[in-house]
Amino acid sequence: MIHDKKAHKFGMVIDLDKCTGCGSCMVSCMSENNVPFKEDESRKKDSITWMRVYKLTNGKSFPDTEVVYMPRPCQHCGGKGDHGHSPCVSVCPATATEYGHDTGIVSQIYTRCFGCRYCMGACPYHARYFNWWDPEWPEGMENYLSPNVSPRMRGVVEKCSFCYHRYQAAKDKAYYEERETIEENEYQTACATACPAGAITFGDLNNPSHKVHQIVKPDPHPDPMNKDVVGKSRNPKIFRLLERLGTNPKVYYLSEREWVRKAGDNYLDGEWDKVKNHHGSSSHE
Amino acid sequence: MDSALIPEGAKRCSFPKFTIGIAIVGAVVLWGVYAMFLCWFKGLNQTNMNDYYGFALWIWADLAVIAVGGGAFFTGLLRYIFNVDELKNIINFAVIIGFICYSSALLILAIDIGQPLRGWFIFWHANVHSMLTEVAFCLSCYFAVLTIEFIPNILENRQANKVPFFHHLAHNMHGVMAVFAATGAFLSFFHQGSLGGVAGVMFGRPFAVREGLLIWPWTFFLFTWSAAAFGPSFTLLVTRITEAVTGKKLVKDNVIHLLAKISGWMITTYIIAKIIDTIYWTYVTIPSLGFKISHFYTNNSFYGYWILITEIIVCGLVPGLLLINKSTRENPNTRLLAIVLGVIGVCLNRWVMVLQIMAVPVMSFDTWALYIPSWQEMATSILPIAYGVILISLAYRYLPVFPQELELNQPKADQ
Amino acid sequence: MKVDRRSFLGLGLGAVAGVAVSPVGMKLTDDSSIWTQNWPWTPVPVDGEVTYDSSVCSLCPGNCGISVRKIDGRPVKIEGLDGYPINNGGACLHGIAGLQYLYDPTRVKTPLRKNGDKFEKISWKEAISLVSGKLAEIRKSGSPEKLACITDKTQGSVSQLFNHFLTAFGSSNYFDMPSLESFLELTAQTLHGKGKTLGFDLENSDFVLSFGAGLIEGWGSPVNCFKANASRKERHAKLFQIEPRLSNTAANADKWIPINPGTEADLALGICAVMLKKNLFKAGKFKGSFNKFVAMVQKEYSVTKVAETTGIKANEIEKIATLFAKAKMPVAIPGKGRGNGGQSLKEFAAIHTLNCLAGSLNKKGGAFVMAMNEYLSFPKAIMDEVAEKGAGKTKIANSVNELVEKLNGSSKPIVDALFVYNANPCYSLHDPKRVKQAFQKIPFVVSFSSFLDETAMEADVILPSNTFLERIEDMPSQAGLARNVIGLTRPVMDPVFDTRNPGDALISLAHGLEGTIAESFEWESYEECLESVTADVWDSLSEEGYVLVSQGPPKGNPIVDFTYLSANPSTIQAQGDLELMLIPIDNMRLTGTAPMASPFAIKTVSDKVLTGTDIVVEINPMTAKGLKDKGYATLTTPVGSAKVKINFNEGIMPGVLGMVKGLGHTCDNKFVSNKGVNVNDLIGPVIESGSGLDAAFGIRAKISKA
Repeated sequence: MIHDKKAHKFGMVIDLDKCTGCGSCMVSCMSENNVPFKEDESRKKDSITWMRVYKLTNGKSFPDTEVVYMPRPCQHCGGKGDHGHSPCVSVCPATATEYGHDTGIVSQIYTRCFGCRYCMGACPYHARYFNWWDPEWPEGMENYLSPNVSPRMRGVVEKCSFCYHRYQAAKDKAYYEERETIEENEYQTACATACPAGAITFGDLNNPSHKVHQIVKPDPHPDPMNKDVVGKSRNPKIFRLLERLGTNPKVYYLSEREWVRKAGDNYLDGEWDKVKNHHGSSSHE
Repeated sequence: MDSALIPEGAKRCSFPKFTIGIAIVGAVVLWGVYAMFLCWFKGLNQTNMNDYYGFALWIWADLAVIAVGGGAFFTGLLRYIFNVDELKNIINFAVIIGFICYSSALLILAIDIGQPLRGWFIFWHANVHSMLTEVAFCLSCYFAVLTIEFIPNILENRQANKVPFFHHLAHNMHGVMAVFAATGAFLSFFHQGSLGGVAGVMFGRPFAVREGLLIWPWTFFLFTWSAAAFGPSFTLLVTRITEAVTGKKLVKDNVIHLLAKISGWMITTYIIAKIIDTIYWTYVTIPSLGFKISHFYTNNSFYGYWILITEIIVCGLVPGLLLINKSTRENPNTRLLAIVLGVIGVCLNRWVMVLQIMAVPVMSFDTWALYIPSWQEMATSILPIAYGVILISLAYRYLPVFPQELELNQPKADQ
Repeated sequence: MKVDRRSFLGLGLGAVAGVAVSPVGMKLTDDSSIWTQNWPWTPVPVDGEVTYDSSVCSLCPGNCGISVRKIDGRPVKIEGLDGYPINNGGACLHGIAGLQYLYDPTRVKTPLRKNGDKFEKISWKEAISLVSGKLAEIRKSGSPEKLACITDKTQGSVSQLFNHFLTAFGSSNYFDMPSLESFLELTAQTLHGKGKTLGFDLENSDFVLSFGAGLIEGWGSPVNCFKANASRKERHAKLFQIEPRLSNTAANADKWIPINPGTEADLALGICAVMLKKNLFKAGKFKGSFNKFVAMVQKEYSVTKVAETTGIKANEIEKIATLFAKAKMPVAIPGKGRGNGGQSLKEFAAIHTLNCLAGSLNKKGGAFVMAMNEYLSFPKAIMDEVAEKGAGKTKIANSVNELVEKLNGSSKPIVDALFVYNANPCYSLHDPKRVKQAFQKIPFVVSFSSFLDETAMEADVILPSNTFLERIEDMPSQAGLARNVIGLTRPVMDPVFDTRNPGDALISLAHGLEGTIAESFEWESYEECLESVTADVWDSLSEEGYVLVSQGPPKGNPIVDFTYLSANPSTIQAQGDLELMLIPIDNMRLTGTAPMASPFAIKTVSDKVLTGTDIVVEINPMTAKGLKDKGYATLTTPVGSAKVKINFNEGIMPGVLGMVKGLGHTCDNKFVSNKGVNVNDLIGPVIESGSGLDAAFGIRAKISKA
């Protein structure tokens, strides 16, 4: 087994100006991870989509209406101060979900989860999904299931794993080739490879040679305006969802449009204009 | 027919009449059991829960039943540790109510989890950081304590008491009851609090999150306090109902007034703490996360400010004041109003701290989610009430639950 | 031994205590948790060796290169193929969901024959002999031209094989469904001459003026367009989207210009007028009444007139014209939505004329006038006298729509047998019930569909085809792509069911007919045929999986013929006189043509489009008087009416209703069918005189509370 010498922090940046809302990321994720489908998937509150594309609008009336699509995988939160106490990890009573300090990925053990759904309540991003039904595949369709991801049974929670099985496969390959490290392009999530517009950039936020690090430029120091927040992007056009809560998610979003950046969090009247150009602490890396 | 089992000197209704009553309530129990099996064999799709409402009617029922069952631990604490002697006349009943509440809670939990056969993982793979782990351990231990506290009363059944072993066992258990009461109070403090902690630690949910003391959010203490405050009110309410159904006075007024007064003061001080907590949350906590209080009480078809006012004023401050004030406390009608409002208030608080949290959108583009329970959820939530009615009926009929019963129900002197 | 109560109790308690301290409890609880991991109904996918196959997806005309990951030969994941000259690694959701088509248990698994109103399974031998028997009868009757054929396109060896079959049989009645490619070819033919088609160099253009083209909603080669659009930011290229609603393309554009539905041609000609008036155009090889065109357009499409018609302010029109003309590499894109369905030649021609006037023809970032593919070398069909006579007769119609009209209009049968391949006209044409009616007049319909879709349901015999993952086929690029690529679809596994390559079915049929027809089909198998007809390119095609025939601007400056437009053909009006306008919407996550969307694709469809089995219609709140958001309503057009749900949407013009294409299927697939309404059921064809195209862009409608 490879033991990574340096801790990785796998994350992604999604360029919302490039996202077309096509849904390829959603389907690629479902196909890669053996996600089931039901006869009626229009009730989005019990439709399992580890990656879900939201449609946001600026709320203005015709013809000033604007719309943006926002793909939302599990944010793999680092929790307050980024110490690994994700909102969901801290509350799971059976340690069925854990924060990996070596990867930054929040894992889910389907066979240990007993379905109390506390983690689902704790997650403000609704990134966690419950198997209210036993997954069933039409006759013959189980043939396309991948052996790298366990199909789940009813009564357990599932969520995006940043395609952890691909990380394991990349590590195995590196081990066979007697390498210590894996290359940036050797471990990419299904959604990132699928996105036909190239809107999703995935990689190691801790690795300066990875594209995601270069685009996001995460500030490793706590934000002076909110000490629970670590890793804020130095680019004022890049934001994280609900950053103020201190969840420290690893999914960053980029948009040229101000209303989109503002929609990423909640602000009191007049607050947005004060903080919109704030980009991390003044210290340089 | 079963007169050999009835406590000596006590009058009970005829056995056929009793059986019919039990059968009627039993039908409700069977309905609930049917729903329970549906949930176990078909899965949680039998409910109207969804990914936004992972915690719904059952968790509310759990929290509410544990909150009102707080009368057991608090009365026990007062009786055995603080030596409020008069409470010995109601403590048995409080324990029975507690027993029913906690067994119901455990039953509901067994139905509520997605994989009941794995439920024991909460002990085996315990996560020490999770509030629910604390709840599970303490709930189970406290249930054991309640069982131990209940057993002596069972052993005092006329026939059981004839067995020397049981007689001595009961007697000895009474002797050491203080230890169990103390243990029970200690455990209750933590699990009542942890249930509040379940909500308060969710820093991803601004409606629920609270600051606190060390690892314990303020909701931790508020939950324990409210359980201790409203639990006795529930005990008084069930006593009142039992008195109405049996047609007998079972507990002397001075005991009732004492417990009501204690409950009243606990409620009032709790409400003051709750108001301070709400103000702090409104003016300090949520603004720092970018929210105004109107975010949580507008733009949806159910949760409005009415629920806040009802919980804190109508069903909080009002019952507290009614019970503190001597004249309203001693007037049976206003006292009944107060304890009913109080019980509604604590149930409302538990509803708010479970379901309103789930309903409120957090991401700025997310929507409110509303929910109506399915019949299976309602049947399994009514099941504990029905089961409780049966257990109280059996206990009242066959056990000397109320020490003052005989004294209060001497046959009238001939006119 | 007497067991009294005490000892019984003692024994009982002892037993309980004993069991409690034994390992039995632990073992049983542990076992129970293991049971919960191994319920027999939870599938356990079998592991195995990982291999990757390359192929080309043919679900839509985009023809993206795909990479299929296999476990022990079992395909488990489809992704885009890196380096493929069309999509370079990306894939759309439909292609990625391709395995759901492959393994769909509702597929047609074996040949079927209609018996009464049910289908019964027959063997291939029976099916071929049945069909060739019927066809032989038609030849005997002396009217082989009564065999007609409808497919999705004209290019590629399979389409040409169908054509070859018809020619050898004695019929020229080969029809292709209206598609973006067919419109582009017609436009190129009208403006530049025969044998040409159009391509648009989107990835290099610095100013894209799109007239409702769903560039990120499936127009053209979808992934190629996604990538071109995504690189806009870096290239500082602008996209202006002209359409009545805020589609995803409009939302992503630099500017959305709302326009009254159906007036795009007028706007294009208005912009032409401005460019001509202000001398902002570049001279080219303008032939055929160019001066007449200039005069006409400045008279009939003055800025004030066009402003009135389109609802766009006059100064706005002038601004657009200036920006377009002054851009370094401007290109104007025709084809509303995906560019298929109801489109008008006037609109395509008018929009493309902008490219001609801007000097973008055959320039980088502009519009390419490309020669049609000529890589196939079919042998000449060997025809006997019957065939010569039949094939010599004029085609009975010029389009599928016209064919349907003629069938419905005539009292005696004009078509005795019909082949339908890779098309679903009984669903995707406007007013499908008239199409079904027409098909019911044809005594013998043979479908080559893999799925029992609406058209296959009308068939008498179904000869099911392999899905694209199970067959070999050449895939020439088309649909507006600015490069010419021939791809090779390759089977990633043996057919799951008893289906065949459509080419193989045709060869078997030909052999069954004997005579000159069999002689014209000398190949033993379609694979042999493919190899021989693509002889020029086969080596590189089979080795690399594709041949890049050309990329970059074609050489030479094409002539531009203004005859058609200078006659000022009239702009199509929507049918009816009700107060609102219903327009169809092309949603990326659904498909409006064969095949239907997959379960995964339907799963991604928003609940603002489909809730339960109710289709949701977009309406501007201003128009929605008396209606409730998320409430039910009845939508009525001159063609039909439907119960719908309402979605208040500020992103659509007041007075316009939007309904997606691709729902309302009626086949036997519970994940996809019987959900919503087929918008084509509400819209009827409006034939554009001159081109004969169904140019209906929408229809007048009214909506009231249900």
